[in-house]
Parts: sequence; structure tokens; C-alpha cells
Amino acid sequence: MAGKHHARGARELSAPALGVVMNLPMISLLLLVLAYPVVYAGYLSLHQVGIAQLRRGVFPWNNWENYTRLFDDPLFALALKNTILFTVLVVVVEVILAIGIALLLNQASLWTSRLARLLILIPYGVPPITNGLIWSFLYSFQFGFLNRILFSLGLINDPVNWAGNPDTALYAVAVAYIWRTLPFAVLIIHAALQGIPRELLEAATVDGANAWQRFRAITLPLLTPVIVVILILRTSFAFAVFEEILAITQGGPGDASFVAAWYTYKLTFSPPNNIGMGAASAYVLALLVGLFAIAYVRLIYRRIA
Amino acid sequence: MEPRGLPRLLMHLANGLVILFIMLPIVAVVLGSLQPEKTLQGESRRVIPSEWTFDNFRVILTQGEQKGRIFEQATYLPDNIKSFYRAFANSLIVALGVTLLTVGFGALSAYTVARLKLHWALWLMQANVVARFLPAIVLMIPLYVMVRSLGQLNTLHAVILTETGFLLPYSVVILVPFFANIPADLEDAARIDGCTHFQAFWRIILPLSAPGLAACAVIMFIISWHELLIPLILNSRPEFMTLPVIVASLVGDVHVFFNLLMAICLLSLLPTVILVALLQRYVVEGLSAGAVKG
Repeated sequence: MAGKHHARGARELSAPALGVVMNLPMISLLLLVLAYPVVYAGYLSLHQVGIAQLRRGVFPWNNWENYTRLFDDPLFALALKNTILFTVLVVVVEVILAIGIALLLNQASLWTSRLARLLILIPYGVPPITNGLIWSFLYSFQFGFLNRILFSLGLINDPVNWAGNPDTALYAVAVAYIWRTLPFAVLIIHAALQGIPRELLEAATVDGANAWQRFRAITLPLLTPVIVVILILRTSFAFAVFEEILAITQGGPGDASFVAAWYTYKLTFSPPNNIGMGAASAYVLALLVGLFAIAYVRLIYRRIA
Repeated sequence: MEPRGLPRLLMHLANGLVILFIMLPIVAVVLGSLQPEKTLQGESRRVIPSEWTFDNFRVILTQGEQKGRIFEQATYLPDNIKSFYRAFANSLIVALGVTLLTVGFGALSAYTVARLKLHWALWLMQANVVARFLPAIVLMIPLYVMVRSLGQLNTLHAVILTETGFLLPYSVVILVPFFANIPADLEDAARIDGCTHFQAFWRIILPLSAPGLAACAVIMFIISWHELLIPLILNSRPEFMTLPVIVASLVGDVHVFFNLLMAICLLSLLPTVILVALLQRYVVEGLSAGAVKG
């Protein structure tokens, strides 16, 4: 390094100028791939856009028709209802399971805990669409792996139609989704558990607190910030669930498991390709997710400030 | 506070349930891919088949050239199964390109957020955190129209640029805490020795953040390898499909049975599952840095 030093100030950019230069690739890409498309989606959602209009390159204004038709569509209402049900179910189950499993994995003296800790991250490596397809094999009515196990154990006499039954399809997808996304939540809570001072828990034990009291009085309050982070992150991601729906139910049977992202995708990318109305539906979805994003940012930066 | 007696037994039991749940789909995909269609259909109530075969993998890995015994009678094989290697190569090109660009651009930006003390840096960081929440489906509609009008559908570079734009905010969110954790003294000393800010970034911050860069790179590679919507919507021609698109194209194909499906599922999940297993420490560090320390 010696000999290559520049005199201070001779060729050095000021910090703000350097900041701009170093952010150029990032900012230009974000404008191109995120900011402009968001605005453009708004434009599309207010115009009539189908394959014919794409070919001509002219998108006529259609007086909010995309939105009025959207809110008149009972399938959109069902998709929103299913999305909310799916999200609430996934988030609640996942947070409870993650806390329990993270506490279990923290028991370093148990060999089963060490084994589970070794395996817990596997689902994070499985591609979502692959995960969906594997679960469609697990759930298959005639040939499914779950029914095979239950038959072998003598627990059922007739096959169960897990994903083909309108009453259970959405729950079947939720289990597959939870399987793939649980490791992240476990990991984050487990990391937070490491940060709780042992002396605190030991002191409480000396004072006669039992395991439940220690959990309620010490562990849970200290985990709360992390739990809120997981709640918000998972809520917004589960709102946009797509791959598992595509692989397991395709929104079916009938319309039973239509969710918002699937509705938007079908509307836009399968005939008759109503791109304008798809953009309107996507905008409603983005607005709902945006509320969570803003809550998340305010929460995190309040803690720092 | 080691648990003893009954609580200890119950904890072993609970761990057993957790392990069973994690391994259930893995066991299913392995058993499903190692048996012929005949046993999968004929012995629909058995977990362990009476016959084993590697033919499912053989037919995929030889692109339909060697059909093996169990596919002798088969006259139809989906074209997408035959383009397995092409899809694998496309996935690799896209994932490596996205990883390189997100970590590179992300590091440049993260340095300005973490170390330059600029008043607008915090604002940029907040924009990044919000951007992370945008569902892909929302952006895919305008992006499809944009890429189509530019005549860039069915290219790998459009997929790489789009995915990079989607993932850049997350890479910055992961990298900032790693950069911020490097003691200020080191950079100050270099500055006194005459280093410019950029030289301090290049010679001190980057080398010292190697574990953080590795953590970020692994996560970017995994997410990009998994991405379905972007290549699905932008690329419809088989020669530009990635592995997840091939897998998705087999959904609902009545001519493909679960044995072949599970074989291609296993092949598509192996690279990133192996990566997660080998680099577990980095994955854990990166995910927790990106989730809570932001």
C-alpha cells in the first residue's frame, strides 16, 4: 500500500458526492425495475389493456371501469377473503410453532434438539414451486403419500381427499406453505433466545419461578420485538402466496382456494388477458401489503432512534 | 437448567415430531422418485415399494435418449423434461448473474448507508425496507408490458436485471449491519494515512466484511434459484426457461406421473438444499442480519 497514497483532498470526492456516485447503479436499477413499474401499473389499471391494445400500442382510458368491475366480481371478494384467512392462519400457527420449536432447539443437552437444529434449515433450501409439487404428491387422493402412511398405520380405511375437498384445500396449501417458511421464523427467534442472559433466568429459578413463569416474565417480553418483526414480514409475504397454490390446487377445487395473487395472475396472463383489470387487482394487493410495510419501517426505526 | 425426568422425555418426543414434520416431504420425494409408475399406481396403499429403479433419473439426465425399462412403452415425454440441462444452465447463469450484481451494487450502496453519515442515507434505507415488501405479482404486470414493448421477452438478461432490481433492496438490508459493525477506528486510521473514502471501502471495509458478503451472496443465490414468477412471465420459449419454470410447466400434465415428477423435484431442490447444508452458518447470519438488525 505504501507509495500509492494520494494527498488528502487532491482527488477525493466529498462524502455526499461519493454517496451519490456509489448509489448510482442501485438507484437507476430501482427506478427502472421498481419505481417506474409501480407508477406504470397505476396507469395500466386506469386504461383498457388487452392483447389487442398491446399489439396496437394504444391504451384507451376507460373511466375506472377496471376497478368498478373488480369490486363487482364475487371471485375477487372470495380471493380477498381466502387471502386474509390464509394469512391469519399461517401467521398465527407459524409464530406459535416457531416459539415452541426455538425453545426446544435451545436445549443443547438433548441430542434430539441438536439433531433437529441440524435439520431445521432444510426447507429454506427447497424452491417454492418444487415444495408445492411435492405436497401435491403427499396430498394426492388416489396415490398420495399421506394416505399411504395412514393406510399402513391402519388409521384410515378410505383415502382422504386432502387438497381436492373445497373445505380443506386452503388448509392443505397452508400446511405446505408453513413447512417451507417455518425455518426462517424459528431461526430468528432462536437467535434472539441466544441474546437472553442466562443469569436472568437462573436468578428467577433461585427465586422459585417455574418454567412457565420464567417464560411469561422474562423470555416472552424479551422476544416480543422479534415476534412483531416476524408477524409483519410473514403477513406481507403470505398475502402474496402463489407457487404453492399453483402447484397444489390451482385455485380449486372450483374456486375454493382462489387467493389474490392467483386471481391477479389468472386475470392477466391467461386468456382473455385482461391486463388492465389485473393491474387494478395488483394495486389493491400492493396497497394492503404497503400498509404492513409502513408499519414495519416505523417500528424498526423507532427502536433505532 | 437441564431438564430431567418426564419433561426431558416430553422434549425428546416433541423433537421427534419436529424432525418427522421436517423430513416428511423429503422422504416422500425420495421414495416417489426411486420407484416405477407401476408400483406407485398398483401399490397405492404401501409406503415402501416392492420395486426400486433409477430410470426416472436416467430418462431426465439423458434427456429422453435412454428411456430405461420402465419407460419402454412410453411414447410421450414432455419436451420440457428433455430440456433439463438447458434449464439447469439457465438457472445457473441467472442465479450467478443476480448474485454478482446484487452483492456488488448492494455493497456500494450499503457502504454509503452504513459509513458515510449522509442525512439522506436513512431515507434510502427506509425505501429499501419498503421495497422489499412489494409482491412480485404487482410489478410483473407493468414489467411484462415494458419488456414486451422493448422486444426483450425470452432473454436471460431481462430476467437477470429484473431479479437484480427485486433483490437489491434486500441485499442492502443484509449488508448494512455487517458494514456498520466494523470499528470506526480502523477506517479513521486509514483516512489519516491518506486513504480516500473509496479506498477505505475497498481495502478495509470489504475484506473485513467477507463473512457478511458471503452470507448475502448465499441468500441471493438461493432466492434467485427459487424465483418462479419473473422467468415464468418473461420467458415462454423452452430454450430460455429456468428450472422452476420447467417444474411449474409439469403441473397438470396428465401424461407425467408422480415418479417422474418427484425425480425432477429432487433434482431441482438438491443444489440449494446442499448449499444451505454446507453454508448453514452464513445463511443463519445473513437471515438474522437482514431481519432484525436492519
